[in-house]
Amino acid sequence: MILDIWHETVYDYELPVDITQHLAYLKPHQQVGQNVLSTLLKVIPEPGYCQDSIDTFGNIKTYFSIETRHLKLKAIAKSRVQTQLIEPTLIDLSQGPSWEEVRQHHRYAGHQVIDSSADFLFSSPMILFDSTFSEFAKDCFTPGQSVLKATHALMQKIFQQMEYKSASTDVNTLAIDSLKNGMGVCQDFSHIMITCLRMLGLPAQYVSGYMLTQPPPGKPRLIGSDASHAWVALYVPAIAGFAASGWYHFDPTNDRFGLHAPGSEYVILSKGRDYSDVSPIRGVIHGGGQHTLAVAVTVLPVDEKTLN
Amino acid sequence: MSQSQSQSSFFQEPLAQTPVSKEFVGAPLADKDHFDELYQEKNQSTPVMRAHWQTFFSHLQPKGLSDFNARSQAIERQVRDNGITYNIYADEHGPKRPWSIDLFPLIIPRDEWLIIQAGISQRAKLLEAMMHDVYGLGHLLKEGLIPPALVNGHPGYMRSMHQAIPPGKKHLHIMAFDLARGPDGHWSVLSQRTQAPSGLGYLLENRNLIAAQFPKAYEQMHIESLTSAYRGLVQSLKKESSAGQNAHIVLLTPGPYNETYFEHAYLARYLGLTLVEGSDLTVRNQMAFLRTINGLEPVHVIIKRLDDAFLDPLELKEESTLGVPGLMQVVRAGNVIIANAPGSGFLESPGLLAFLPGISERLLGQKLLLPALDTWWCGEDAAMQYAKDNLATSAVKSTYPPSDRDASGNSSNPSSFASFLVKHLPPKDYALLMEKIQRSPEDYTLQSYVPLAQIPTWRSGKTAQLEQCIEPRSYMLRVFALSDPSGNGWRILPGGLARLAANEHGIASIQRGGSSTDVWVQGENFVQLPILFPSPSIRVGKAHRDRVITSRSAENLYWFGRYTERSENTMSLARIYLETLNSENAQSEKLWRWLDRLCQTNGLIPLADVPDNHPQERSHLPDEALLIQHLNTKTITSVGHNLHALQSAASKVRESLSTDLWATINRCVEAFDKDCAAMQMFGDYSVTLALQGLARANQSLSAITGAQNDRMTRDMGWSLLNIGRFIERLQFFSHILDSAIDEGVLADPFEDTSGFAALLGLFDSTITFQAQHQQSRDLNELLELLVFNSENPRSLAWITRKLKARLAKLTHSETRVEFGRVDVLVHLVPVVNEVDFKDLSECVKECIRQAWQISDEITGRYFTHIQHSDYKIQRYK
Repeated sequence: MILDIWHETVYDYELPVDITQHLAYLKPHQQVGQNVLSTLLKVIPEPGYCQDSIDTFGNIKTYFSIETRHLKLKAIAKSRVQTQLIEPTLIDLSQGPSWEEVRQHHRYAGHQVIDSSADFLFSSPMILFDSTFSEFAKDCFTPGQSVLKATHALMQKIFQQMEYKSASTDVNTLAIDSLKNGMGVCQDFSHIMITCLRMLGLPAQYVSGYMLTQPPPGKPRLIGSDASHAWVALYVPAIAGFAASGWYHFDPTNDRFGLHAPGSEYVILSKGRDYSDVSPIRGVIHGGGQHTLAVAVTVLPVDEKTLN
Repeated sequence: MSQSQSQSSFFQEPLAQTPVSKEFVGAPLADKDHFDELYQEKNQSTPVMRAHWQTFFSHLQPKGLSDFNARSQAIERQVRDNGITYNIYADEHGPKRPWSIDLFPLIIPRDEWLIIQAGISQRAKLLEAMMHDVYGLGHLLKEGLIPPALVNGHPGYMRSMHQAIPPGKKHLHIMAFDLARGPDGHWSVLSQRTQAPSGLGYLLENRNLIAAQFPKAYEQMHIESLTSAYRGLVQSLKKESSAGQNAHIVLLTPGPYNETYFEHAYLARYLGLTLVEGSDLTVRNQMAFLRTINGLEPVHVIIKRLDDAFLDPLELKEESTLGVPGLMQVVRAGNVIIANAPGSGFLESPGLLAFLPGISERLLGQKLLLPALDTWWCGEDAAMQYAKDNLATSAVKSTYPPSDRDASGNSSNPSSFASFLVKHLPPKDYALLMEKIQRSPEDYTLQSYVPLAQIPTWRSGKTAQLEQCIEPRSYMLRVFALSDPSGNGWRILPGGLARLAANEHGIASIQRGGSSTDVWVQGENFVQLPILFPSPSIRVGKAHRDRVITSRSAENLYWFGRYTERSENTMSLARIYLETLNSENAQSEKLWRWLDRLCQTNGLIPLADVPDNHPQERSHLPDEALLIQHLNTKTITSVGHNLHALQSAASKVRESLSTDLWATINRCVEAFDKDCAAMQMFGDYSVTLALQGLARANQSLSAITGAQNDRMTRDMGWSLLNIGRFIERLQFFSHILDSAIDEGVLADPFEDTSGFAALLGLFDSTITFQAQHQQSRDLNELLELLVFNSENPRSLAWITRKLKARLAKLTHSETRVEFGRVDVLVHLVPVVNEVDFKDLSECVKECIRQAWQISDEITGRYFTHIQHSDYKIQRYK
């Protein structure tokens, strides 16, 4: 599937801004299951300085600074991405190592070679351990259960028990508060699920991205069209004779999962330990007073026949 | 032990010349199981004092122990005078505790020091190699030589530093190592600090104070000087910087409310660096700049005293207001050297110590020369086994530092805790502790407990028996590895900070109420230069340019000037008010009304026209009591309030004030507080006491203004200080004249002379006037002296002329912008032959307006970018 993404962010300031510096994660990067055909970021007014770099998680990070006085800041990201069709039905959840085997795999013993997923085993700025999470996840992780099946059960538990409610939380909401209140948005659901997995010793990633929300004929419309989306990825290593090792993606907001992505209508923007690593845009402004923010995200399928 | 035994038997080797005073033989031994720094072979019946202590005591003056109390007090006094503080709770209103220093130094003989030096030097090299690997190729993690939990799982590990190679290829420039000396006399490493280690300033101050008490011993024992290690640090930073010898080095402090701010200011002055706060710096085009009164100036090196996470609110902890937005970008571009490079925090985990022997073999191909205390990180199964078996004899340490919030948003990290000794727990809690460790083993690190060595300390005036005043106390030694252009890249500072435990809990910490002392390293026996004390007036880094004045210090210097003048003026007003009320001459109603109004508008007594404000305060008290009652209140701008404001402004520019000036300010405020407390104590508000207190404070103020004039470099900062004084003076005297005219105090100088006299007194011009005009009451003569005289430093003409000259100097380099119309006097009333109060009143009112306007313009031009530097963070999903 080929998807066009238009992601526009507009800040209107009450007072003039003299200097501003921003970090943006708005350009999708090439990865297994996803071919980025084009991507560009346009900022108005023109930044005095702008630089792309690849961060330690493999994301494209854009730093830009504007030193001319302005009352409005506009950032438009435009990308065209080709995704692979992954049939979730082809994944046998009962296959692969048990969750205890994966946990043991990551326990440190001297001179043991470790894999890069170890960066996603620990607490991080927004993944803060608390026994409430282990209590919540306990019944999904029964002894000897395959890690995929147990994680799938956890995803479904969040999907079923948590209420999705727009604007019920904000970007700084802590997962524990969302869990205790039983409601939140995709960021909160992902943080809850990641915290549960990491507390069990399993490597889990926060994935920020987009999904096509225009419903296929006869299917219900999916949530997440007003802004960027977020979900969770779990790494299953090649142990216990498991051949299909890799990052398995789970979307607790929509009850979807798959290898490399939850589905072919998903586009991965960036991956990190939690939201704080990959917030699409964050900035420091000098001056400005109050500001209003408008974000618009549009994801459209491209008819491949119209492409040359 | 018996006093009667012959002296010689106590000493290993008989001493030449000066025999040691006999009292020492009575000093108590260290506690059982602790290494004794003072005596050797303490198990024998006749303890023998160690050779270096014999030498030390042999160099005492003939008085021997008897003047130790005096020496000890001298140190305490100097600590107070110099304002050496340690702000325990790091809070604006928190208690600033005087730094606590013990009388005796810790003396380390040459051969012992060489062992420490070699071991620490190797460890410094190892830590640098680890930074290089962890942020570079990552062999250690890939090969399993270091657990991911101690790197990836440590909040001090910074992913954004990956592949960022500092300009000099060196990450670490300042490292601190805490050493413990075990019962066998061997040294081991307890912990290491790399993010923003403290102590480098305090230890200099300790050296100044202790060496000055024992100059002969200090010289004769060939104690190593500290200066060259500090110079080496500055030199190596310059060498690594692309700007070379012209590199502009700043010291970045969290600000005056930080617990160790004293030493930031002290170090900056000693090293000749600009002391800056985050908002003084700004990032433009991947470069770091300092906001100064001359505009933006490039910064090449930042010695930081902030923890890494606070460095850049854009990339790191976004609620930080201490950092510089965009700074990480500058760091990665290699355009600034940060000492130490961000990301070294993970090196501070005690858990890491267990893995260093293996890492050393891998990275250096060497065995560690100086061991650490046995350490077990419980995240490893093998160590867990040890934990189970040896819990009772261990110290428990938190693997991770406290973080800012836990899952519930509380301010403490549940996985972090203060170190403690298991043997101090009631045994019933063992199981609970073990359970906690098993639940999250990575959070726990065990370290074997050793009783710390003890040094003799002096307890002043404890008893008449002087030998009983010596008390052994446990200590920990902090030594520093400083970057150096020669050798293997680091020089071990030959000295350090000995931290003394407050009690026998085995953990020495300044925060827990401990004390500290100087560390003397014996040098080789060749002759050294006689002057060895580091003096704050000798700067290690030679100033290669005019001192940079940050906008922040410019503002504080300006207010330092204003508050000095304001204190002086309000003091003289208070004095004249009290004197007038107490005078035997009858006062006119007019005079009284005028003075009362002046005291109200200057904040010396509560305002009368807002009775609801202070209903009972103005009520029944006689007028003089009301003023005395408010001499030092904080609710109005009392004399005391102004003095404290003066002190506060000065404290923020401490690095540019001489030690003497700062000590004078502290003494002045302290004495005034004390005097005011005495006046209030019995509620009798004695006028005599009040006048004495005011006179005393006035004398100190004269010393302060004298130092401002004679002891400060006449740069732009000094100009601003003086401009502050002159603006304040212009406002005050203009206002006095204006109100005097308004109240008609001068209307009839021959009938009622009291107003005439009071005005002269307020202008501090009585003597001048009498010398010129004796008992004359001629208004023209009076106004000539107070308004137009060009020699009287309190005449309005003199003030405006000076102010104009200073302003011209300040702006000489810029396009000639005129400040206000300071020469208004000259234009308005060129010559007054006949007193015309209406003209004069207009003129004086204009002076007040101009003073305000100039103040606004100065603030706008030189200080405001500080306010502009307030920023906020925005982010969204």
